[in-house]
Amino acid sequence: MSNALEIKYLSKSYGPKIALDDLYVSFPEGQITGLLGPNGAGKSTLLKVIVGLVKPQAGNILVFGQPPHWKFNAEIAYLPDRAKWYKVHTIERAINYALTILPGFDLPRALEMIKTMDLDLDSRVSALSKGQQASLYVILCLARKVKLVLLDEPFTGIDLLSRERIIQSLIDSMLDQPQTIIISTHEIHETESLFDHVVFLNRGQLVLEGNVEALRQEKGCIESIYRGLFR
Amino acid sequence: MENIQVGDFNFQMDLSKPLYEQVLQQIRHAIARSDVPLGTKLPSVRELAQQLKINPNTVMRAYQELDRDHLTETRRGQGTFITSDLDTVKQVKMALASEAVLVFVSSMKKLGIDRPTAESLLKEVAWHE
Repeated sequence: MSNALEIKYLSKSYGPKIALDDLYVSFPEGQITGLLGPNGAGKSTLLKVIVGLVKPQAGNILVFGQPPHWKFNAEIAYLPDRAKWYKVHTIERAINYALTILPGFDLPRALEMIKTMDLDLDSRVSALSKGQQASLYVILCLARKVKLVLLDEPFTGIDLLSRERIIQSLIDSMLDQPQTIIISTHEIHETESLFDHVVFLNRGQLVLEGNVEALRQEKGCIESIYRGLFR
Repeated sequence: MENIQVGDFNFQMDLSKPLYEQVLQQIRHAIARSDVPLGTKLPSVRELAQQLKINPNTVMRAYQELDRDHLTETRRGQGTFITSDLDTVKQVKMALASEAVLVFVSSMKKLGIDRPTAESLLKEVAWHE
């Protein structure tokens, strides 16, 4: 199986703070990978390097065989950890705007997802609950015909039902369009059954990676592996 | 563990074991125990993945294995159906029974019980309750 991402000896520090430390890891193509690790492990920095928002000080990274470049970002849907959208937009305005600025945006699919997620087209972004906002941001990423989807903590601080709706959309998305999806999350128990593959980071380095079913066979559930690694 | 009913099937998923094997085993057992009538349609991959909240690839892998064992038959555009062939079901039933016997023998051995004692215990046990 080929890799969507090849990361070799990648290092990045912010002043004295080391975010990525000689990181060497790859992500399989066409699979859904859980990117796991405690706060400060380097997960968000890694995702930012992939879309070219952060320049590493050393090492290199290939995204589908190419170094990161803004031109290739048309093939990547990225949800940052602190996503924001125009507060005055209604959901309808937001998705119409998304259609004009986001390459590969699939309007019918977005409308369908809005229905599944039980969102109202006329609601203003400023009036949405945290869970509804998170759902909207996930829709803006998943309703795109792109090769790579990067979701940085899409489940943080949102209620159970919104989380379940997002998981439902992810399952639909996996069936409807083959994509490489990378999700960083702390909600391991709720999400581990979705992953094909997991990558554990700590202090900017790779701690463990592997196929989820093989890891379950060998060591048990992903949540307990996480506890064992970081406790 | 939570019991999840999907169509005619019941599932209990344990995250500490491979999920693909659990889906496969639980459908196998349901067929062998005649919990579901022969010829029944299996839930679609989407429906089962959604209800169990698992990766659709996991469901597809289990379904492929059932097809390979001829326990199910996938008809193009219609879905996957449990076999109507009684002999196939009987074979699976015997295979699952042999597995259960091996588990039994292994736990007897661990207890230090020898074969004659285990056999006499089997003879004494009440089958009908």
